[in-house]
Amino acid sequence: MKEFTYEIKDPMGLHARPAGLLVKAAAKFASTVTIAAPSGKADAKRIMAVMRLAAKQGNVLTVTCEGADEDQAAEALQAFMAENL
Amino acid sequence: MGIFSKLFGGKALDSIGAPVTGEAVAIKEVSDPTFGEEILGKGIAIRPTVGKVVAPCDATVDMMFETGHAVSLVADFGAEILIHVGLDTVNLKGEHYNVIAKNGDEVKKGDTLMEFDIEAITAAGYDIITPVVICNSGDYTTFETHVGAHVNAGDTVIELAK
Repeated sequence: MKEFTYEIKDPMGLHARPAGLLVKAAAKFASTVTIAAPSGKADAKRIMAVMRLAAKQGNVLTVTCEGADEDQAAEALQAFMAENL
Repeated sequence: MGIFSKLFGGKALDSIGAPVTGEAVAIKEVSDPTFGEEILGKGIAIRPTVGKVVAPCDATVDMMFETGHAVSLVADFGAEILIHVGLDTVNLKGEHYNVIAKNGDEVKKGDTLMEFDIEAITAAGYDIITPVVICNSGDYTTFETHVGAHVNAGDTVIELAK
């Protein structure tokens, strides 16, 4: 299991566009990817679940990757968040 | 299978009605790539002529965004539907939107979910085009859209089957 945290910097939070791109990025990996926000947990491969987190600027997300390619998944998603969120 | 299902080509299709009245167009006509490139899923878009969003089918309100600019629903037959009123309208922070339905509401097709002021949103510099996206469209093998015409709220715009 691979885990990292990320504090949201986008003033609009995890809204539709970054949520959609995040799901696309997560879907590239076989690993199970879970995002935990203050409002709850979501499967990072399901758009509605990710949007339902309604994560805001300043919220800390905990991303957990579990599976054969967890190292690559965690690395890619961390880079994605730094760039897009 | 939903109450609006019908038999077509041997497959039972579920129907999604237009959530707003206006001109139905292909999702590719939406300039925002989040929608136009189907990043959130397949769908259609409507250029609204009436500022009211209604339930496109019998469903549960999954998430009414605090700002009212978008709402997601889970259809009784399982489709995950996102209705996003205008592009980049998250930036309006709720101005010009009047939220009516709330999270968890069980709604019937045609129930009003929110109202919005087309003129004010357009005057504020936003494109009012309203994408209607099926977030779990990957779960469906049949996905037909009905676009290129004026639609009244409730007219079928998407038909799908697993």
